Amino acid sequence: MIEAGKNILRFSFFILLQVTIIRHLDAGIYFNPFLFIGAILMLPLRANKTLVLIIAFATGLIIDMFYNTMGMNAAACTFMAFCRPWALKVYAPAGDYNADASATVNSMGVRWMISYASTLIFIHHFILFYLEAFSFHDFFSTFLKIILSGITTLILFLITQSLFFRN
Amino acid sequence: MYGIIAFFRRYYFSLLFIVLEIISLGFVFTNNYYHEAGYFNSSNRVAGAVYSSYSGFTSYFNLQNVNHQLADENTQLLNLASQIKDTAIHKKILITNPFGQLYHFIPAEVIDNSTNLPNNYLTLHAGSEDGVGEGMGIISPLGIVGIVVKASAHYSVVMSLLHQKTLVSAMFKKSGTFGTLAWGDNKDYRFATLNQIPMSEKVKPGDTIVTSGFSNTFPKGIMVGTVDNFKAIPELYFYTIRIKLSTDFKNLRYVYVVCDIEKIEKEALEKDAQNSLNDKTK
Repeated sequence: MIEAGKNILRFSFFILLQVTIIRHLDAGIYFNPFLFIGAILMLPLRANKTLVLIIAFATGLIIDMFYNTMGMNAAACTFMAFCRPWALKVYAPAGDYNADASATVNSMGVRWMISYASTLIFIHHFILFYLEAFSFHDFFSTFLKIILSGITTLILFLITQSLFFRN
Repeated sequence: MYGIIAFFRRYYFSLLFIVLEIISLGFVFTNNYYHEAGYFNSSNRVAGAVYSSYSGFTSYFNLQNVNHQLADENTQLLNLASQIKDTAIHKKILITNPFGQLYHFIPAEVIDNSTNLPNNYLTLHAGSEDGVGEGMGIISPLGIVGIVVKASAHYSVVMSLLHQKTLVSAMFKKSGTFGTLAWGDNKDYRFATLNQIPMSEKVKPGDTIVTSGFSNTFPKGIMVGTVDNFKAIPELYFYTIRIKLSTDFKNLRYVYVVCDIEKIEKEALEKDAQNSLNDKTK
């Protein structure tokens, strides 16, 4: 129960941060970080994957509502949540995750976090930005945007973790 | 039967994933603000409340700029009003164009705005209860801004000029030659592209571009911008002109919703006609 409350708080925090501050950073067209996906990344490692899928879809829809990008974030988040069990498996430490391990730097270490987060961030941004561009017409400029925005998201995510989620 | 259940048990995760993706992509590809009664946009109460309280915090940062714009506009309007008094033509403050369209303007506050996405929208703190309706044009003191795509009771969503689907009919102020204005491939909030200007037009950098008034969305003669540079497409006998937009999209605070009175009247009439027809067939 406390765990669920914590997760809801974390989601509200990330979504509010996204739609108020991050959305207005306005550092040019190549930097569009989507930090809110951090909330999905930080769900418990052993969370039911079906539940994660539904949560990701709902979170995406909420962000779509604020960005007026009907369905694009929902599609990207759902895809990311679908890939999450696979990413967790690929980056699993020897002898699998500890029972009390959580998806934080403190628990899993910086190296694990960077590889796990950057993989899923890339997947999310890839789907989102190509849907948004609506074509492969500007293939390279969109790809550059995915890389630069993805790196920004990753850095912001690591900073947010070290500031607000120390334990 | 048992086989089907076993199949679902085995693949429910993938199946759920596919269903959710189809739902989201369905939203993406069928989304047409004019026809869909979608609730998931920033004109709903939750998003509107978040944006308006946030904009309450940040409004102080660009007050100086906004004040300058409003003061400039006031000066212009005062000059205009004095002319009207002199010639004693108009008794009411309405703008008429040669086609006899009448407009009136509804003030609205911008509570959310973006300039760096491929498709930008604004959220206004004015909705259908204030008279805002879908398809109405939005102008700022400096020039055109966008078109309303969704209006709820207290908020509305505006498709910015900085949107891949926004098209506006615009013309040269000096000659009246008109073309289609689109944001297109600019991806820069300061510029847009004017297409389909015949090469017979003598284009000079700095020429003023205004709205043509053909679409009823904007009155004729609202400032759009100035010619930045241009290039010819000889095979089509057209110019493609890069326009420096006059609207400062990063500093939008107060805008006006353009209400075409006759359009509303016409729509009400059509609805009436429809209703009376329905009554007769009963």
